[in-house]
This record gives sequence, C-alpha cells and structure tokens, in this order.
Amino acid sequence: MNRPLIVALREVRTYLQDKADLAFSLLLPIAVFALMYGAFGGQSTFHGTAHVVNEDQGGTYSTLLLEQLDELENLDIELLSLPEADSKLERFNLLMILHIPKGFSNKLTTGEQAQLVFKQRGNGGEEGQIVASIIRGVAEEMNQELQVQSQVRNALAGGDISQDQLEITVHKFLDREQEHPTVEVEEKTVGTEIDPVTQFFPRIVTMFVLFAITLTARTVVEERKKGTLERLLTTQLSVGQLFVGKFLASISRGFVQTFILLALAYIVFQIFTPLSFAQSLVLALIFAAAASAVGLVIASVVRSEDSATWIAVFFTMATVMLGGTFFEITEGSVVATISKISINTYANDAFNMVIAQGGSLADIGLELAVLGGVAIAGLALSRILFKIAPGGR
Amino acid sequence: MAKTFLVGQDLHKSFNEHKAVNGVSFTIHKGEIFGLLGPNGAGKTTTIRMLSTVLQPDRGDVTIGGYSMRHNADAVRSLIGVCPQELALYADLSALDNLVFFGRMSGLSGKETRAQAMANLELMGLVERAKGKVDKFSGGMKRRINLAIALMGHPELLFLDEPTVGIDPQSRNNIYETIEGLRNKGMTILYTTHYMQEADRLCDRVAIMDGGQIIAMDTPYELKSQIGAPEQITLEDVFLKLTGRSLRD
Repeated sequence: MNRPLIVALREVRTYLQDKADLAFSLLLPIAVFALMYGAFGGQSTFHGTAHVVNEDQGGTYSTLLLEQLDELENLDIELLSLPEADSKLERFNLLMILHIPKGFSNKLTTGEQAQLVFKQRGNGGEEGQIVASIIRGVAEEMNQELQVQSQVRNALAGGDISQDQLEITVHKFLDREQEHPTVEVEEKTVGTEIDPVTQFFPRIVTMFVLFAITLTARTVVEERKKGTLERLLTTQLSVGQLFVGKFLASISRGFVQTFILLALAYIVFQIFTPLSFAQSLVLALIFAAAASAVGLVIASVVRSEDSATWIAVFFTMATVMLGGTFFEITEGSVVATISKISINTYANDAFNMVIAQGGSLADIGLELAVLGGVAIAGLALSRILFKIAPGGR
Repeated sequence: MAKTFLVGQDLHKSFNEHKAVNGVSFTIHKGEIFGLLGPNGAGKTTTIRMLSTVLQPDRGDVTIGGYSMRHNADAVRSLIGVCPQELALYADLSALDNLVFFGRMSGLSGKETRAQAMANLELMGLVERAKGKVDKFSGGMKRRINLAIALMGHPELLFLDEPTVGIDPQSRNNIYETIEGLRNKGMTILYTTHYMQEADRLCDRVAIMDGGQIIAMDTPYELKSQIGAPEQITLEDVFLKLTGRSLRD
C-alpha cells in the first residue's frame, strides 16, 4: 500500500476512534435530516383546531354547526367554557376563539338574525385566520340553506305542505345547485406541486459537503502543532504524498457524512430511484473532492488553527450564498454571473438535475468537469503554495 | 582514521533580520556521538532542522553518507532518523500504531515495520504497553516512544534533540542505555542537550554553539583540559566560561 493511502487511513482511523468527533459528524447529518423532516416531512395540507365556546347548549343550529365543522377532515374542535377561553386569550395561549352566543338557535328558528362571534388577539394568527375562514364557509352554507327554506316556505305559504316535505324540497334545490352551480369553479393542475424536499434537499446536501473545507483547512496546521508534520517531513514521505493522503482522508470523511444524509433521504422521503441514488453518490464524491481541495489550499498557507477556521468559514459562507443555497438567483443577473465562481453553484445545479429533475450524470457533464477540475487544480495549487509559503518545502 | 559521515559546510540561516545560524561547519564521523551544545537561542535546533532536511539553508550545504542535501534530499532522508525536542506523536493512536505508521513512512514494508516496531518497543521497555494509547502514557514513556519512532527505518544517523527533557531518572537512564547500545552497534548520533553531565557521559565530541556560530569543538576531555585539570573541571564549567553567565531567554 502506498504512503498517501496509509496517511489517509491513519486520518480516517483517528476520525473513527475519536468518539466525540465521530458522534458529532455522524449525528450532524441525522440532525440536519430530522430538521428537514420536521420542516417538510409532515402533513403538507392545513390542519387546525377550532376553539369554540358554545353558550347555545342543546340548540339545534349550534349543534348542527358543530357537527358540520367536526365532519371536516382538516379541522378539530375543542370546546371551552367562556371564562376558560377568555383566560387563554388573555395569556396568549390562544389567538382566536369562536363564540356561539346564547339564543343562537332560537333566533334562527324564529327567522331573526343571529351572530357568530370571533374573539381574537391581534389578527388571530395565521392558523386562526384559516380556521375562521373555514367556519365562515360552513356558516355561509347553513345561512344559504336557511334562506332557501325561508323562501320556499314563503312561496308555498297557505299550501298544505308539511315541514318534512318542505325540507326535502329545499334539499333538492340545494343538491341541484351543488350539481349544477350557477358559477362553476374549475381547478386546472399545471404540472406537479413543488415538493419542498426535492427543492431544498440538493442545497442542504451541498452545504453539508462544504463542511469538508473547514475540516481540511485545519488538518496541516494541526499536524504542525503536534510536531508530527516536521517529523513526517524527515521521512521518505513527500509533501505531495502527504497532501494526497490528507485529500483522500477528507474526501472519505465528507463522503461518509453525505452518504448518511442521502441514504436517510432515500429511506424516509423516497426521493431517489436506485440509479439516481448511485448517481448522487458519484456526484457527492466529486463535490467532496472539490471541497477538500479548496480546504487544502487554505491549509497550505495558514499558520494557526484559528486562521484556518475563519478563512474556511468565510469561504464556505461566501460559496453558499453565491451558490443560491438560501435564495434564488435570477438568471442573467449580475449575481448570477458572479455565482459562476462558486463551486456550490455547479453542485447545486447538478444535484438539482439528478434529484429534482430526474436527470443523469450525462446531463451534468459541465458541472462534473468543473468540480473535478477544481479538485485537481486545488490539489496542485495547495502543493505549490506550501512550497512557496514561508518555511514551506 | 574514522570515516566521515556528515559534513556541514558553511551553513547560514536567517529568519527575517535574525541570523539564527551564521556560518556553521563541522563533520561527524561514522559511529560517533556528536554533541551540539549551547544556550537557548544559540542556533542548535535550527542547525538540526537544516541537517535533517526540514529547513533549506540560505547558504552552504550538508552531505550525509555522501549525499548532498541540496541535490538529493530523498537519499539523505533514507539515512536519517529524527527525535525532535517536542513529542511528535499521534496521541490518539497506540504506541505500536505510532511506530508502525512512521515505519511505513520511512519506507519499511508492512511485515518489516511490525517486527521492527516490536523490537524498538522492547528496547525501550514498552512491549507490555504496545497497544496502549499514547495519550495515557507518562511523560517518560512518551519520550521513549518519541525515540523509538526515530529508530524506525534503520537509520544510520540519528538526530536526538534534547531527548531527556522533563523525565524521571529511570526513563532518562533507559534512554542513556539505549543510546550507548546504539553506539555500540555503530550508529552515528547527533545529540543536543542542556544537561552537560549527560553530554560528558555520552558524547565522543561536542561543539558548543552561541550566537549562531560554533565557538568550540573537541572531545569533552580536551575542552576541559583547555581551562584546567580535566578531572576537576566539568563540562558545565567549560560551557559557562565560553558562553558567559548572563541569562538567555
């Protein structure tokens, strides 16, 4: 086995033996993934709770309203007493409640106007507004039904028509209206819904791989601090072999972490086919190589762990921002032009093509070439910089 | 006549405006223990770093075993072993793994490395702790591992930069005995220390450096003879007479 591999194996072994380091780096992708799952993995349609104070206990129409609300799949009903509701509103525990006042049903029965009251703090909150809108819709339907009943009753006034017949007739009108509405609303689906997982996951993966820059940037300085760098330089290990060894170790670390992230996404979100998963791994490997090479360039010139960390973090953040991880970059803009210098741009585009758009490695030839080129050029540049840096060789 | 193994010729090294080494020349014979002594900042460590190919001299050259450091540094590296002043070890690895790793870096095969690593651990009295993690070792044990690593790869010339700093008498004695054993086997050693008694005991010849230059070079006996009766004079007396009593920080 040649020396770069032995150097890489030693580093990987050290990484695997350091339980704290290992736990952190293996748990990090799991934690990132858990956050993603929390953000995107849950129910994507609305589901809320209507907090209701019903003072019209036993009333026909209040009971009907609550039954109709309860039938809605995206709404739960929680009944509260008035003091309880006021207290929760006061303490910001709730932002909106529906208050059904006393005599609500009686008023409707006698044809009087009845009121439903929304009590809210501020604008009632986003969920409160949606819940209120749903309740308004249900109340509107009840209102419509009662009006039709009233009009039919008036139209048939004086006739020998029972209440049951009246209701059957009203329901027939309403059913016909529902089947053939005067204003028909048609929903046309254009393409599939934007899936937040496939939209954001590629960006999270690339951001994650970029951590390799910081880890690699510190590697030579740490060796120097321990005194082992100087000792290694007196052996038959060449500087080039040392750098290749560190490069391989950094790729391995970055790849293991990315593999965990991709595998979790495969299992939980099922966003991969076996082929796209394999292609994503190849891409992750090449991007990890590019990030590691950039880290080595920093490592070859810095003289302290602090400067290594800060330069790497600054570079990583700049790369992430320019790569469009946190915000969309408009095609043709100045920022889009500048973003071409960020390796993250190419990695994001490539992951997006493979994960979100179902492309293959053949579709991301340019991106792979750029990332591979950065890996090779970075490795060569780091060797040159180490030679010309003060005290270098 | 003893065969010359190392030749340092007119070595110069500056760091910014500071001349750390200023025209140092000396030779070391095959099988000799050569002491390089001097107060703090005299230029000993810079000289060793140049001799061991870590630093390139601004001027001058070093020839080891007939190979020029400037023209054939790889060949020079195949002949040397370095025990640096600081503990240059991987604390998270076992003693054996440290030796094996540096053995492989020194060009040994896997099988050969393991055999030599065990032999060196035995030499240092650390066989029972071969699989123990180095960060759990005492200072003396770490020093012995530091020396054991320098012996990996069958070096012909060993650089020992203050190998006994901060250790207990037992570990120090073990290192002395090891060095004497190596000399008996014909190994050439360049030794630096602040302990004059140690240099007197171990070194065949010593060079005393100050201000980046060699100010005296001879056998300990001859150096002592220059200022009085050698039996009544210590090497420390010689050292203080030559380098003065002012503090060097």
